[in-house]
This record gives sequence, structure tokens and C-alpha cells, in this order.
Amino acid sequence: MDLNVELCGLRLHTPLVPAAGTHGKEAVQASEGVYGAVLPKTVTPQPRTGNPPPRLAETPAGMINSIGLQNPGVERFMEELDAFDTGVPLFVSVAGETAGDYSLLCGRLAADDRVRAIELNLSCPNVERGGLYFCAVPASVEEVVAAAVEAAGGKPVLAKLASEGAVEGAQAAERAGAAAVTLINTLPALAVDARRREVRLRGGLSGPAIKPVALRAVYEAFRAVGIPILGCGGVATGTDVAEFMLAGATAVQIGSAGFVRDPREILREFSGYLRETGLDARDLIGAAH
Amino acid sequence: MRFHRVRVESRERLGSYRVLRYPWEGDVEPGQFVLIRAASQRTSFDPFLARPFSVYDLRGGVMSVLLEVRGRGTRLIASSEEIEVSAPHGRGYRPDVPAGRVALIAREGKVAPLRLLYRRLQERGVDHDIFLQLAAAQVPILRDFPGARVVDDFGDLSGYAAVYASGPGAVPPGIPCQVAVEEMMACGEGSCYGCAVPLAGGGYARACVEGPVFEARELAWI
Ligand SMILES: Cc1cc2nc3c(=O)[nH]c(=O)nc-3n(C[C@H](O)[C@H](O)[C@H](O)COP(=O)(O)OP(=O)(O)OC[C@H]3O[C@@H](n4cnc5c(N)ncnc54)[C@H](O)[C@@H]3O)c2cc1C
Ligand SMILES: Cc1cc2nc3c(=O)[nH]c(=O)nc-3n(C[C@H](O)[C@H](O)[C@H](O)COP(=O)(O)O)c2cc1C
Ligand code: FES
Repeated sequence: MDLNVELCGLRLHTPLVPAAGTHGKEAVQASEGVYGAVLPKTVTPQPRTGNPPPRLAETPAGMINSIGLQNPGVERFMEELDAFDTGVPLFVSVAGETAGDYSLLCGRLAADDRVRAIELNLSCPNVERGGLYFCAVPASVEEVVAAAVEAAGGKPVLAKLASEGAVEGAQAAERAGAAAVTLINTLPALAVDARRREVRLRGGLSGPAIKPVALRAVYEAFRAVGIPILGCGGVATGTDVAEFMLAGATAVQIGSAGFVRDPREILREFSGYLRETGLDARDLIGAAH
Repeated sequence: MRFHRVRVESRERLGSYRVLRYPWEGDVEPGQFVLIRAASQRTSFDPFLARPFSVYDLRGGVMSVLLEVRGRGTRLIASSEEIEVSAPHGRGYRPDVPAGRVALIAREGKVAPLRLLYRRLQERGVDHDIFLQLAAAQVPILRDFPGARVVDDFGDLSGYAAVYASGPGAVPPGIPCQVAVEEMMACGEGSCYGCAVPLAGGGYARACVEGPVFEARELAWI
């Protein structure tokens, strides 16, 4: 049983990676070697205060969040980056409002030896294209990934996409030189308060509820692109990890499940699956096709 | 998040409150909270999230929490033999106060975080008065707060050296005041930024890490 996988020229000692925005430094430090790479919350060029509360709602087997990318901005973030150094490759997630923002962030991060790969959070409004999400328009994906890849000077750039348009988006990212794609971000969702007759929260749905949608996106993208896929969305058990890899993921991100489970248990379950089947982690990648 | 499975040792009703007790090794500060879920939630993900509760008391290796049934999560927890609990989290009350008599006040029945605080103040010989805003069904909780007064409003607190409050509301000007807040939480450990509390100086703090007890003057809504 071998847990190692190779992703964008990096060796990950397990295929598990935290999903951006769901594992703070306390959670990363407590995870004790479960993760093959570390991925902190998305950082933007300037500090962002985030959205007013409420920011959370619960759903059957999931949750809706509307955090608004609260973060201290890239400069403060870099000062605190050592807190995320746990001896495994460090990936950084970035977001901006224009292709220029992404390129600026990639340039800044690529110059730092601690950063081994950059994930572009493309579920953000593109102010130069009428506020449509970058990931919703393949031409935007292509433009922003190309700018990011150029600025990253050889460091791997991962494009994180939504489920809608995942295949076209993944193809556009591949054309523009992305080293991998992450599928998927949260699904657009709404919580309504029937008693008060008003909207409670407009945000992104995550958790086990979205797993089948995410699996489908990974499966279809695997057929459409040659670059590796990081599966993400509703992964909460070791069997879920296996399912995502069988559908085509090279590595698997753990998001909301980290709030309700100990990631060490998820890895233990996944190791148990490999032991039972007599397979290595890498044998699973795309094996359901 | 790491959860520990424990057996509920005892369960007691005090009016609309229930006290749950479970074994716990380790220390705690008054005002800290724990996340709790029914053991079945681990695999059913239904409800998905655990629920935050103030530490009510900890003595002799027995932790207690005081809960009121609000919705599905609390109903399930209240009726479960086996629950899963996190370690205590967050910043509690910091009872390093100027010399003098202090007031403990609970708004709208949110008495839970004051119990351990009151016991610790008592151990240290700090003079204090306790004022509780209670609904009729909550009055039996006075058993655990001997000497506390039930009030509709808190009147003039200006003679006190410090005020320790639970629940949001107006703060007496010029008196040091610490207040425990309740915000919906997902991770309970600083990861998700879901438990945002607006700050007086702009921006937000996380109730689970920078709180749940804040200096009242730091907060925007008081
Ligand atoms: C730091 C902290 C300490 C708390 N201490 C206590 C305590 O000692 N005793 C006690 O009875 N209750 C306490 N609460 C409130 C308790 O967590 C909620 O009553 C409980 O989460 C309600 O869950 P439910 O499923 O029964 O209700 P539902 O209304 O079905 O819950 C739906 C969602 O809203 C959230 N929610 C609802 N009400 C609250 C609330 N007041 N605060 C935070 N989230 C809420 C729930 O967590 C859940 O995700 C505390 C909350 C916080 C944040
Ligand atoms: C509270 C919260 C905050 C998130 N913040 C970010 C973020 O900053 N950047 C990002 O790319 N994705 C963010 N996400 C999305 C997750 O990384 C992930 O794509 C999504 O939650 C689906 O995975 P899950 O079902 O395992 O949670 C966030 C999700 C949650 C629940
Ligand atoms: S509950 Fe997640 S940051 Fe506080």
C-alpha cells in the first residue's frame, strides 16, 4: 500500500490536500502529516473585511457560506506564511478582480521559495467583463490563466473551477498552460427564512450534499483534459477519497468535512481501503473509466 | 476538528434548561465553549454541524453544559446517550479586575457562561452580585446561582468595578465590561471565518478564537 502521488512534478506523501478557506493554521498544525500539501485561505491583493453576518447556514448534509474572502491581503499574508510550514509542499490560493490582479499575485508568490504552487480561485467576479465569474466564461479562464502562468515563472498554476462549465473551463485552463485543475468550488445556493419571509443567506453550498455533482465534474473533465485534476466537493470519508480518484482525481481536497471530522480518520479509512484492495493510491486515478 | 466520544453520565432538568454531564480530563476557563453533537451525526451528517455550548461547570473530572432545546440539533443532543465533544475552545472571561465589587449579568436567560465564572470568583473571594434576566420557565436555574437576583432590566450598574455580561445589550459607560456572545459557528477553531462579530473599529473578529468573550467596548453592536 503506497499513499504517494505525484502532482505537477511534486511528490505528495498522501493524496489529501485541505480545500482553500477551510483549514486555518490551527487546523493545519493539528492535522499531523495527514495532508500531502497545505493550502491556506484565498489571498487577495488588498485586505478584505468580508461580508456582514450571518455568513453561515446549515443544510441537509452540508452548509452554505458567504464569507466574502476575508483576508489580510497578500503582504500581511506573506509575513504569516511560516505558520503554514509543516514540511509538506505549500500551495497558495489567490483571487482578484482582473487578470492583472492574478498576475500580480502570482508574481509576488512565485518569488517566494516557500510557495510551491499557486491555485487560482476563479469563482470571483471579473470586473472587466461585466462582473461575470471568471470561471463562467472559458475566454476569461484562458486569459487569466495565461497571465498567471506567465507571471508564475515556471511554478505550477492550478485553476479552480465551478461545476457549471467545468469541462470547457478545464480545457481553456489546459490551453493556457495550467498545470492542473481543481474541481469544484461551492455551488450557488440560497437559504430562505420562512418565518421572517426573507432571504437568510445567499452563498455557496458545500459538504457531502454536493459530492455527486463534484464527482461528475471530475469524471467528465478527466475525459476532456490531459492535466491532473484535484477533486473537491463533499469529501468526508476514506471511501469518498477513493471514489474521486477512481473518477479521475490525482489528489483530493478536504473542505467542510474538516469541520466535523478529524482528517486523520479520513486518511486511516482511505489506507484501509487500499490495504483491502491491495492497490496503491496512484493505481486508482481514473480507474473507473 | 477532533471530537471525543463520551457517555452522558447524567441529565437533569431545571425548568426549561437541561444539564448534561460527561467525563472530561483537562482544564477550562470560564466563558470557553465546546462543540457537541449526537454520536449518530458522525456518520449521518444530519445535522451536518456540531453545536456550540458554553462550559457550565467542570469539577472532579465531570464537565457540565446547560442547554435549552431550540431546534433539531439541540433536541437530538438532549436525547442522546452518547455524544461527541470537542475540547474547550476560545477566549473566556479574564477576571483580572480592578479591586471592588463586580456584577455578573445574564441577558435573556443566557446564564451558562456565568456559572463557572461565579464559582471561580467565589474561590478567590471576589465580592460580586449576580443579576439574571429569566423567563418564568427558567427560574429553577437559581438553584445553581445562590443569591442571584432575577431582574427585568439591570438598572444602574455604575457602582461596580467591573461587569461580566452574557448576551448582547447596552453596557454601562465607563466600567470595564466583558461580554460573551453567541454567533453561529461551523469549524469552531478559526478556520472558516463564519462566526464574524462586527468590531467598533471596523472589520470583524471570530467569535470562536478572539471570543466568545470580548471587551464590550471592542464590539460594534453594543
Ligand atoms: C459560544 C456559544 C455558546 C453557547 N452556549 C450555549 C449554552 O450554554 N446553552 C445553550 O442552550 N445554547 C448555547 N448556545 C446556543 C446554541 O449553540 C444554539 O441554541 C444551538 O446551536 C441551536 O441548535 P439547534 O439545532 O437546536 O437549532 P436550529 O435553530 O435548528 O439551528 C439551526 C442552525 O442555527 C444555529 N444557531 C441557532 N441558534 C443559535 C445561537 N443562539 N447561537 C449560535 N448558533 C445558533 C445552529 O448552530 C444551527 O447551525 C451557544 C452558542 C454559542 C455560539
Ligand atoms: C467556509 C468556507 C470558506 C471557503 N473559502 C474558500 C476560499 O477562500 N477560496 C476557495 O477557493 N474556496 C473556498 N471555499 C470552497 C472550498 O475550498 C471547497 O471548494 C468547497 O467547500 C467544496 O468542498 P467541500 O464540500 O469539501 O467543502 C470555502 C468553503 C467554505 C465552506
Ligand atoms: S466558527 Fe469557523 S472561524 Fe469561528
